[in-house]
Amino acid sequence: MKKIEIEFIVNGKKRRIFVKPNDLLINIIRNDLYLTGSKYGCGIGECGACTVLLDGEPVLSCLTLAVTVNGKEITTIEGLAKGDELHPVQKAFLENGAVQCGFCTPGMILTATALLKENPNATENEIRDYMRGNLCRCTGYVQIVKAIKSCVAEQKSD
Amino acid sequence: MEKQQYEFIGKQFDIKNIGKVTGKELYSSDINIPGQLYAVVLCSPYPHAEIKKIDYTEAEKMGAICIGPDDVPDYLYNERIVSIPEKTYRDRTVLPKDKVRHIGEAIAACAAETEEEAFAALKKIKIEWGKKWKPLIDLDEAIKDDAPSIYDCVYLGEEKVDIKNNIACERNIDVGDIDKGFKEAEVVVERTFNTQRIYHMQLETKSAVCVPEADGGITVWTTSQGIHNVRILLGNIFNIPLNKVNVKRITLGGSFGSSIQMNSITPICVALALKAKRPVKLVSTREDDIYDHSKYPLKTILKIGAKKDGTLTAAHCRVWVEIGGHNIQAYPYLGCVAGWFASLYKWKNIKYEGTAVYTNKVPTCAMQGYGNPQINFAVESLMDILAEKLDIDPIELRLKNYVGKGDEFWGQGPTVRSIIRSCGVEEMLIEGAKLAEWEKRTPPSKKKGELRRGIGVARGFHTSGTGGPNPGEVIDYSGATIKINEDGSVDVLTALMDHGGGTWDAVAKVVAEVLKVPYEKVGIYNEVDTRTTVFDVNTHATRGVYCGCGAVKFVAEKVKEMLLNYAATLFKDLPENLKLACNKKLGQAVIYPREIPENYMTLGEIAEHAHITSWGAIAYTSTLRQKNCPPCFITHFVEVEVNTKTGEVKVPRAVIMGDSGTIINPDLWEGQIIGAFSRGLGFSLLEETKYDLNSGGLECNGLITDYKIPTTVEMPKVDNIIVRSAHTYEPTGPFGAKGIGEAALSSVGSAVANAIYNAIGIRFYDLPITPEKVLKALKRKEEEEKESRRRVGDKVD
Amino acid sequence: MIRLTNNTKILTQEFEYFAPKTLAGALDLLYRYQDKNTRILAGGTDLLVKMKTIGLDADYLISIKEIPELKFIDTDAGLRIGAAVPLSHIEKIEKVREKYPALYESIKSMAAIAIRNMATMPGNICNASPAGDTIPPLIAYEAKLKLVSKRGERTVLVEDFITGVGKTIIKRDELLTQVIIPEISKNSGGAFLKKGRVKADIAKINLAVCLKREGEICKDCRIVLGSVFIKAVRAKKAEELLRGQVINNDLIIKTAKKASEVIKPIDDIRSTAEYRTELARVMTEDALKLAWGRAGGEL
Repeated sequence: MKKIEIEFIVNGKKRRIFVKPNDLLINIIRNDLYLTGSKYGCGIGECGACTVLLDGEPVLSCLTLAVTVNGKEITTIEGLAKGDELHPVQKAFLENGAVQCGFCTPGMILTATALLKENPNATENEIRDYMRGNLCRCTGYVQIVKAIKSCVAEQKSD
Repeated sequence: MEKQQYEFIGKQFDIKNIGKVTGKELYSSDINIPGQLYAVVLCSPYPHAEIKKIDYTEAEKMGAICIGPDDVPDYLYNERIVSIPEKTYRDRTVLPKDKVRHIGEAIAACAAETEEEAFAALKKIKIEWGKKWKPLIDLDEAIKDDAPSIYDCVYLGEEKVDIKNNIACERNIDVGDIDKGFKEAEVVVERTFNTQRIYHMQLETKSAVCVPEADGGITVWTTSQGIHNVRILLGNIFNIPLNKVNVKRITLGGSFGSSIQMNSITPICVALALKAKRPVKLVSTREDDIYDHSKYPLKTILKIGAKKDGTLTAAHCRVWVEIGGHNIQAYPYLGCVAGWFASLYKWKNIKYEGTAVYTNKVPTCAMQGYGNPQINFAVESLMDILAEKLDIDPIELRLKNYVGKGDEFWGQGPTVRSIIRSCGVEEMLIEGAKLAEWEKRTPPSKKKGELRRGIGVARGFHTSGTGGPNPGEVIDYSGATIKINEDGSVDVLTALMDHGGGTWDAVAKVVAEVLKVPYEKVGIYNEVDTRTTVFDVNTHATRGVYCGCGAVKFVAEKVKEMLLNYAATLFKDLPENLKLACNKKLGQAVIYPREIPENYMTLGEIAEHAHITSWGAIAYTSTLRQKNCPPCFITHFVEVEVNTKTGEVKVPRAVIMGDSGTIINPDLWEGQIIGAFSRGLGFSLLEETKYDLNSGGLECNGLITDYKIPTTVEMPKVDNIIVRSAHTYEPTGPFGAKGIGEAALSSVGSAVANAIYNAIGIRFYDLPITPEKVLKALKRKEEEEKESRRRVGDKVD
Repeated sequence: MIRLTNNTKILTQEFEYFAPKTLAGALDLLYRYQDKNTRILAGGTDLLVKMKTIGLDADYLISIKEIPELKFIDTDAGLRIGAAVPLSHIEKIEKVREKYPALYESIKSMAAIAIRNMATMPGNICNASPAGDTIPPLIAYEAKLKLVSKRGERTVLVEDFITGVGKTIIKRDELLTQVIIPEISKNSGGAFLKKGRVKADIAKINLAVCLKREGEICKDCRIVLGSVFIKAVRAKKAEELLRGQVINNDLIIKTAKKASEVIKPIDDIRSTAEYRTELARVMTEDALKLAWGRAGGEL
């Protein structure tokens, strides 16, 4: 298969690479760019472990053809902290016991940052609903919801 | 013993897990070795079929490295070597030599430059199948005389064992006089319960990376709960001296028991790497993973006898388990089920009969509880039935009969027993009842309306490790190397695994507490392996804190002894006159003559002095076997809301009481309890891996589109899940600590079922309790009530 | 040999990829490759899953994501939504939330946010799953689809578009370019209900209703059920019971019962026929009450 050149921004840096039409974004990110924070969990869009931000919106890299991100901007978990300064959601996850095995954590955190950007005053029910596509088998979610709640600008009850 | 004030135990430090929130943490599937090949596995499409010939020449022509049954050693093994060899059943090779025994069983594998190439080559492998049998899916079918034999014989240790009626193993235990016990009973209740197969659904699929070394050895990264057992097994299978097998300790993306055994892909990856003479990476697809391991199901026929005052007199427990196509140690499973059963209540007279049966399904293994949630569902449901029959409050009946302090606890089946020295059962039942507003509970007959709320209680426990005064059938010890660096910081080298529940965090805190070194200066890193660590059996049986940290504490105390000896020389004093303390201002451990804190020397100064004067390293290596198996107790008060129009069950609120002795990581202790609660909700209301009776395949086709686990929305809200700890201290545990992990799941299903009964007056005996089952049962009940009203009406007329 | 086709980590099919920048360009490609195995990539959330899990093949893949002409949302008269608009953008439109609650609720009920950021409504429609969530509300709102090809264009009702499981009347050179939903009249009310095993799930059963109220009378109504037949179905016999009648509780109960009698659900891994039948009744009743209330009606 003929390779196609694509140019896109990954975590603020412009990258120019050749990909096959059937290359999945998850495999390009993990195997070619060595950004292994995005995880393979199911490959069919059911678990959210491979979530990345595409132009700021969470999408599933396991169901995204790499060719389709040409000209777009991607943020992975590795690009969230500003230098040594963790993103508030990353900090909140650490402070609230929201991390156990950590395999779902990158996808969880990226989805949560998108939620807070879209809805800075999200209620608990809104958080629960928005996060429902990111599966976690360890934590039972409650401390994850608690962590995200702690980042909400103005606490509102449902 | 009094509770003590600790500097680090029970405190929270947010620096742990920083790799996990930044994406820097490496898991087996993240390891990349220059020049590696990617491997894929060919899985059987048939549930029970003879393999006549495998021809992979076409695949090789495409440049792939291939292995089939003839390329793997004839070595027969059991992938779980936690039990002693003479109690270990061996029925498998790396790839099956004669026939496949379940759909999804690996039969061949390919490695190539890319995963795409490997997969393309895989499709070229030709298999000539011989006889095919109809799959044995149901236990009752599998034990029939005319059922096809899944095995003719297997090995138990070195002894050959013939398999009859597909019965893999049996275990019968008698305590007291069962007939006498039932004769004394004034009330007898008996029911049959079924718990289903569920899938671990750990987020990381089973993975392995293997590098063949120049000296004939191998280096392996793999999903494992115990790297030393993987080393021993790989060495034995491939006939490599054990010093040349190096298994790396690496973070695990969840496991829940599915990597106690060496994962089936691990030796496949090794075989490919040895043949290719190149590094090979093998990451299971989710669909291969779901066809690789499953929780043990259980069928229980339970009969219990009691006096009218609620005193128990006897229990007869008959259990059956269908284990799938391989026996990943159903024998200890049957023993453990007996132990969990025997240790819940003072039955006085026990008859236990357990049978494990091969079927053509995915092999079953431990999943958080090793039979505990399964048998707990039967016992705790039947205790509620008994309570109602006796007209005794369920809490009172439990308080009257529970096995507690001073009683004997079976920590790992009948051969691992110890006396209970700490017990929070009473406190948990009483305090939990207050928090859950138990006194406001009304009987089902009082509930009206479309949405009916009910509250249920159930209690459980798990062992903390598998130690006892006498070593039983289970190997149990842990170890560590602890060394003090030249600046006073500390390195801990241990093979002890962390599932994410905080075992490593606990290790660091225990070492910090003993050596008074600030938590952040205690390093417990992933760059260790079987070569740099001493043996640790496995992080299973809720033994991480109690046994693992117990061993770490033992080693740390030896280091402390060395340290005080060195310091004594410097202070020109006796070690017993010196005090080790943490100076938070300096961020260092300090040593000073007792009562004269201003005359301190820092640990860094002492270590540096020892270094430049060539006294030698301040380090110690050892192992420790815990000689007790204290139960960590749990009590669940669960509130459910049953929608009588749709059969849906919601869980708006829960009160969970835990007894782990001293709690080392409070946030993760709570996290483990809540996490177990979500898995328990999946187990009781939602999950089941169902099989198609004809094809023998999973109804979900291996796709999690049709294997749902709870999400954020199905859990109670943050403020509605109340987790509290009992006030206990385990005298035999490190700083008074016991475990929590598996205990946390044991009584979720039972409490949910009891709550549903309280809401709608219908008892469910089979899990999961789906809306379909609830609605059907509600309709039936409505019909029955109509019928009985009509009969009463007839009589009146 | 079902197992051999599965590898959800990679995409094994080899195909040629096109990302035309104009509608005309896309139509040219569709015309040129109409006799080949050509597939349209919109969100990819169904297509790629099928390619990974059931070995669906493609020689040519035409992405419509780069076509600005398909990214419009027009709320002037009714709703007109371009084929490349992701579902999450539709749920953010105020008019959808306020005037087309059944559509809004159906989209919100689908999978999770990351999927909705990718998936499109035409994707959901063309996938033609009996459980497709946007289909019942679109039928209830009498939505139409614009199908365009080099030969011309036509407009068809969603109701007529889907013919069976995974089957539609679209021609190989046609592209579904927009979904057209007629303006909703005053005193109309809609509702969508769904049951899954968990919140983010394929429906065990879903349904949408849309009622037009005139005083106490139901002037017109549509009741559409999904996941109970080979495609979403209108419970026409149940609709007839309501049409032109004064609405009251008894009538709603009767209508709901009728709706549950006209469907043909099956047992599958997600649920049972028995449960679906019972839930069809319960949910129709609830949805009718909800919609009647939203139409300003009282009970």
